Amino acid sequence: MSLQVIDNATCTFCGCVCDDIQLHHDEVRIHEAKRACVLGTAWFLNHTAEKKHPDALVDGREASLDEAIEAAAALLHAADMPLVYGMSNTTCEAQKQCAALADQLGGLLDSHTSL
Amino acid sequence: MGGKVTCTLGEVKQRADFIVYWGGNPAECHPRHFTKYTIMQKSKFLPRGRKDRTMVLVDIRETKSAKAADIFLQVKPGKDFELITILRAMIKDQHVTDEQIAVTGLSREVLDDLVGRMKGAKFGCMFFGMGLSMTRGKHMNSAALLTLAAEMNAFTKFVAMPMRGHGNVTGADVIMRWQTGFPFGITFNRGYPRYNPGEFSTVDVLVRGDCDAAFIIGADPGATMPQPAIEHLKRIPTIVLDPHVTHTSRLSRVHITTAPQGIAAPGTAYRMDEIPLPLKPPLKSPYPTDEQVVRRINEAIAAKPFWMPEGSQPQMLTAQV
Ligand code: SF4
Repeated sequence: MSLQVIDNATCTFCGCVCDDIQLHHDEVRIHEAKRACVLGTAWFLNHTAEKKHPDALVDGREASLDEAIEAAAALLHAADMPLVYGMSNTTCEAQKQCAALADQLGGLLDSHTSL
Repeated sequence: MGGKVTCTLGEVKQRADFIVYWGGNPAECHPRHFTKYTIMQKSKFLPRGRKDRTMVLVDIRETKSAKAADIFLQVKPGKDFELITILRAMIKDQHVTDEQIAVTGLSREVLDDLVGRMKGAKFGCMFFGMGLSMTRGKHMNSAALLTLAAEMNAFTKFVAMPMRGHGNVTGADVIMRWQTGFPFGITFNRGYPRYNPGEFSTVDVLVRGDCDAAFIIGADPGATMPQPAIEHLKRIPTIVLDPHVTHTSRLSRVHITTAPQGIAAPGTAYRMDEIPLPLKPPLKSPYPTDEQVVRRINEAIAAKPFWMPEGSQPQMLTAQV
């Protein structure tokens, strides 16, 4: 089996954000992360493209993505003081959407930094 | 950069001949920091690499990073602010008593030596970690260290930089600053952003029980926050976006599985020195990205009536004339 190679991939596990990692993968899992440290290697090798979790859970039951998005929007819209929190393990593009979400809800916006 | 006296890691790699790690353990938490950015690198200005650089570690206990250090200063727990203040006085040749120095657990000889080395450096850089910013004094400690770095510039080039932790926390700061003007602890409840850590920061909000819904993304407060905060998350409707079913997912009303950033989700992440880097995800996830899901939630909410009554929304100055 031949593996595909990606050069200069970026590791986001710690604040070093090393952007010189060479990844060897077969589209399902990453088999090798060259130049990554122990933490980075564990991060790359632990994630796969398999479907291990349900698309969504609503009140503990499996649900479709569309149902979950509607439920989330309804709960947030009904709240008087919703909180948008986290944003550590996500991209800047998603973080920008989170700022827009808190803005249109009139809610709170906060990250891990405040701990 | 919020008024910090700082620089990029590229400058540290090329020029810094004096490096301090304060309250951090890079050997275990940022394993490639030494080799990729700081002490181990050879450069045009420091051709002998490690031999041309001095590394000081300040911490309350001897961690694995101490092995890499030339000088290890064991400060008494909770006395970082005192030590920084004493250093600020000593670099300016102000009088410091022996009793004041004794409080920090260090001796005058050691501090005299440190001050001499700091002033003798061509380019000094102080990295500070959670051991400084999350212990007694908190952000006052960080502010004191940044002031020390600023004041050292009367003698030589000196900068300071926080050692940011996991994931893209730096990106969150930058994006919030860009979008709202504030880095964290923000509310929009008057229709425009206001900032007040302690009042609008998450732990305080949750412990007081202020919020009546929570949207959690790329974090697992159910595993890390104090128990009263978790109890409140259980009481209110909580929505979680995460690549895994987490502790927080288990106490939430809605969990949506998303693609992990940098592995199956493309985008941008910020390095600790606030340099944005593109992600190169190798895998194709069966799940949508965080960005796609939040965008769709935004659209679904936009289709509902706006929460502020018509005419009561804050207006741009141009709209008021
Ligand atoms: S490879 Fe290691 S040092 Fe580099 S970002 Fe990943 S976890 Fe951090």
